[in-house]
Amino acid sequence: MEDEISTDRIKLNVGGKLFETTVSTLQSGGPDSLLAALSNRHIQSSSNPTFIDRDPEIFSVLLSLLRTNRLPSTSRRFTDQELSDEASYYGIESHLKSAMLPNPLSGIDASVVSTIRPASDGFVSAFTAIDDGSVWIAHGGQISVYDWNLTHAGTVRTHLDSITSIKQVTPTAMAAVACDVSSGVHFYNFANGRRIGSVEWTDPTDPRIYKARVTAIADSPDFVYSAFDSYHRENCVLAIDKSTLQVKSEIGRQSGNASKSIVPGNLTYVKDLEVLAATAVTSGAFGFSGYIRLWDTRSARVVWETNEPGSGRSSRFGDSFADVSIDVNELSMCKICSKSGDVAMADLRKLSDDPWVYLRETNPSLSNTSGSISNSVVHCYKKQVFVGRDGGLEVWSRVARNGGNDNDIGEESFRRNYMDKVQDSERGIISKIEGGGERLFVSREEAEGLEVWQSSVFSGAVLVL
Amino acid sequence: MPPIPLLKPLSNGISKDFKKPNVVTIDVGGQLFQTTIETLTLAGSNTLFSNLFNSSQPHKIPFIDRDPELFSVILSLLRTGNLPSKAKSFDIQDIVFEAKFYGVEDLLVQSQSNSSQFEPFDLEKSMILPLTGRDSPSAIATTPFGSLHVSHGSKITSFDWSLKRKSTTLTQFTAIDSLLSLSSNVVAAGATDFCGLQIIDLELGFVIKTLNWENVTKSGSTVQAIGTSPEYLFTSFESSRRNSNSILVYDLDSFKVVSEIGHNEIFGADLDSAIPATKLNWVPSLNLLMASGSHSGPSGISGNIKFWDIRSRNLVSEIKEKVDCFADITVSDTLSAVFKIGINSGEVSYIDLRNISSDDHWDCLGDSRKVMNVKKEGVGCKIESHGNQVFCSKEGELELWSEVLMGSSTSDKNGKEERIFKKNVLGRSKDIGGNRITNLGFGGNKMFVTRKDQQCVEVWQSSVRRN
Repeated sequence: MEDEISTDRIKLNVGGKLFETTVSTLQSGGPDSLLAALSNRHIQSSSNPTFIDRDPEIFSVLLSLLRTNRLPSTSRRFTDQELSDEASYYGIESHLKSAMLPNPLSGIDASVVSTIRPASDGFVSAFTAIDDGSVWIAHGGQISVYDWNLTHAGTVRTHLDSITSIKQVTPTAMAAVACDVSSGVHFYNFANGRRIGSVEWTDPTDPRIYKARVTAIADSPDFVYSAFDSYHRENCVLAIDKSTLQVKSEIGRQSGNASKSIVPGNLTYVKDLEVLAATAVTSGAFGFSGYIRLWDTRSARVVWETNEPGSGRSSRFGDSFADVSIDVNELSMCKICSKSGDVAMADLRKLSDDPWVYLRETNPSLSNTSGSISNSVVHCYKKQVFVGRDGGLEVWSRVARNGGNDNDIGEESFRRNYMDKVQDSERGIISKIEGGGERLFVSREEAEGLEVWQSSVFSGAVLVL
Repeated sequence: MPPIPLLKPLSNGISKDFKKPNVVTIDVGGQLFQTTIETLTLAGSNTLFSNLFNSSQPHKIPFIDRDPELFSVILSLLRTGNLPSKAKSFDIQDIVFEAKFYGVEDLLVQSQSNSSQFEPFDLEKSMILPLTGRDSPSAIATTPFGSLHVSHGSKITSFDWSLKRKSTTLTQFTAIDSLLSLSSNVVAAGATDFCGLQIIDLELGFVIKTLNWENVTKSGSTVQAIGTSPEYLFTSFESSRRNSNSILVYDLDSFKVVSEIGHNEIFGADLDSAIPATKLNWVPSLNLLMASGSHSGPSGISGNIKFWDIRSRNLVSEIKEKVDCFADITVSDTLSAVFKIGINSGEVSYIDLRNISSDDHWDCLGDSRKVMNVKKEGVGCKIESHGNQVFCSKEGELELWSEVLMGSSTSDKNGKEERIFKKNVLGRSKDIGGNRITNLGFGGNKMFVTRKDQQCVEVWQSSVRRN
C-alpha cells in the first residue's frame, strides 16, 4: 500500500517553482481537467517534472483547494476573477465554485454581504434570482447579469424604457422582459444582446384586445407563461412555447371588472405539481383584496382558488392578504395579512377550504406593530419565511423539536427573529425579497442597488486596537 | 517508546539514544523536512505522524500531499509548543484546518488560548464579535479553552476558540437568562419565563434533554440559576406559581437527579424561604455549593447566602443579608473569600471564607458609610471572580480587585488577619465607559463583556500572544 502511494507521486514545475503532489489529488479536479490529463501523461514518461507555464502562486492556491477542498487565506491576494480564470485554465472551475459558494442560507445568521450597484440607472425596477445564486437585474431599460460569484457578467440594453417583469427562460441565456406601460412580452438573447422575439395578446374575434401589457411572467420547462392585461381590464394568461416563441394556449381569460378577476400580479409555476399559481392583490379605500388561483397546466382548469376578503377560505375574515409567496421546492405557500400583519402558511399538497396555519408569535416583545405598517412583502425560501415590513426584515425559521425534523406546519413550529439592525431598516421600504442559491436578494424603494444577504461561518470579528 | 511529557519539548532535537535513527526526513508537497521522531510523537499517539514511520519500508522518505509552508508552521508548533511569527502571514483558519488534518489541534489550542496566558493586568479591548439581528446578548457561557456561546433573543451564537468561526442555533426560548457550557458544544440553558432546563447540542442544533422539577403544585418550573462542579450540574428551580423553590443536583453525564437541596415551600409570611437561589457557585476547596438569592420586600431588599454540603444535603452556613444586600455576589476559591457588591452602597465587600461563621460581617472595601445609602447605587452591577482577581462592573466601567500580599500580616482588634485588596479600573481611557455591562465571562486567555443594547460581544485579552 505504501508502495502504491509513492508511485502515485507526481512532480510539477509551474512557472519555475516545483510542486509535488499525488496523481489522485490532481485527478480529484475531475476527469476532464487539464491537471488530470497531465497526470495521466506523466505515468508514461516519468522523468522530468511536467512544466506548466503559469503563475506558481495562484497554482499553489488551487493545489491547496484540490488537497483540502477549501480555499486557503492566501487566495485573498487574488481577485475572484483571477482565481476563476486560472481555475478554468486548469479545468477545475466547478471545484472553485463549490469552495466559493456561500454557506447554507439561515435567516437568523445572515447579514448584508454586498450591495449590487449597477453602474448606471442604479434603481432596480425588477430582478430575478437564479438557482445558482446569480441574479438578473432590470434597471432603466437595461438587463444586467451578475454571475454566481456576483461579478458583473454583462449588460444588455433593451428597447423598453423600463422593465417591470423579468424572468430567465431556462435553460438558455434568454430573458423574458416586460413593461407595465408598453405592450407585450419580449425575449432577449443574452449571449448576443439581441431581441429574439416578442409576443402580443391578440384575439381576431375581439377587437378590444389590443396593446395588452404584461404584468407577470413565469417560466416552466416547456412554456413561458405571461399575464396580459388589456386597456379595458380584460385579462388572461398566455402559454408561450419556448422553442417557437408562439402562443400555444390561453388560460383563465376574465373580464377584470372585479377584484377577483383582475390581472394577476404574480405568476409561479410549481413544477412538482404541474400547477400554475397566479396571485393578485389590489388595495384601495376599503383595504386590500385579491385572489390566489391555481391551474392545472395540462387541463388549464382551476384546481384551487381563494378570494380575500369574501370567501370562506380564511378564518380571518376582513384581514385580507397583502402579499403571497409560493415556495416551489418545499411546496408551501405563505401570505401576510394586511391588517394584523400575521403570517400564515399552507401546504400546497393539502389545499382545502381553509388551509392556512397562522404562525404564532410567542415572544411578547416582538408583538406586532402592524398598525402603522402599510408595506409588507413576504417570501418563503429554504424552509424559512422572510418578511419585509416597511424597511424591517424578519425571518420565521423552523424550531428544531427534540431531534425530530417534521415538515408539518404547526402554529408554533416557526419562530420570528429580526434579520436586520435598526439602521438597516432605515435604508428604505422593502419592495421585493427573492432567494436564489444560498443568497437572499432584497430591493428597496427609492434606494439604489440590490442588497445581497448571506449566511457565513466567519464571525466577522473586528479588531479594535 | 515511552511517552514524552507534553510540557517538555526537546528543543534541540538531540536524543541520548544514538542507536535509533531518530532524525527523520519527510517530504511535504515537494519540500523536504528533517525532524526527530520525538518531535513528531508530541502530536499524540494516533495521529498521521505516528503512523508515518510504522511502515514496512523504513528507508523510504514518506510523502505527505499537503502545503509545505503550512507544514513548517505546524512543525514549529510541535518543536516549540508555540506558533512561529511567520504564522502571522497565514489566516489562523488555515492553521486550524491544517492542525486538524495533522491531529494537533489540541496543541494549537494550548499555544493560542491557554487559560494560563490570562493576564488580568494586561487586559485590553482587542476585538468586537458582532451578532446578527436586533437582540442584545442576554447571557454568555465560556469554555476553558476560550470558545464562547452567546444567547441573544431566542438564538444562541457559538464562536470557536479562535473566535473566527461562528454558528447560530434557534432555541424554543424567547430569551435565555442562564447559560452554561457543559462541553465544547453542549450547553444548559434556562429562562425565568420558560419551563424547564434544556440541554442543547449546538452542533446538531437540537435539545438533548429537558430537565424539569416536579413540584408539589404540579405547575411548571422555571430556571433561576445554573451552576456546575466537576461532577454535578446544579439548577435552581422556582415553580411557575412562585410558591416553592428548590435546587436540584444532576449527574453531569447522565443528567439523572442525584439529590435535591434547599427545598422551600412557602407558607404564611416566612419571607426568607420565598427567595430562590439566583446564583450558584461551586467552591472546590470547601466542597460546598454557594447558593445566593435576594428579594425585594416591604423592608427593602433582603437576601441570603447559603453554603450547602451536596453529599449530606446539609446547610453548613448561612449569611443573612438585611443591610446593603448584594446586587451581585461571587466566590473566589483562590482568594478564599466571598465578594459582593452592595445594592445600596455600590461598594465591594468581602467575607473571608477560611474561618467562616454565621455571625461574620462584611468587610467593606470602599466607603463603608455608604452602606446606609438610600440611593441604590449597586443596581445592575456585576461581580465575577477569575483566577486571583475579582472583576466588578459598575455601569459601563470595569474594576479589577486584587489582593496585595504583605510580607508581615497585620491583625485587627478582633485578632482577625487584615487583608488588603486594591482596585484598578480596566482599560485605556478610550475603552472606559460605554453602556452598562450586562455579562462578564472568562475563557482561555480572554475576558468577554457584553453591554446593554449592544448587539456584540467585546473581547479583552493581553497583548502578548494575541492571535
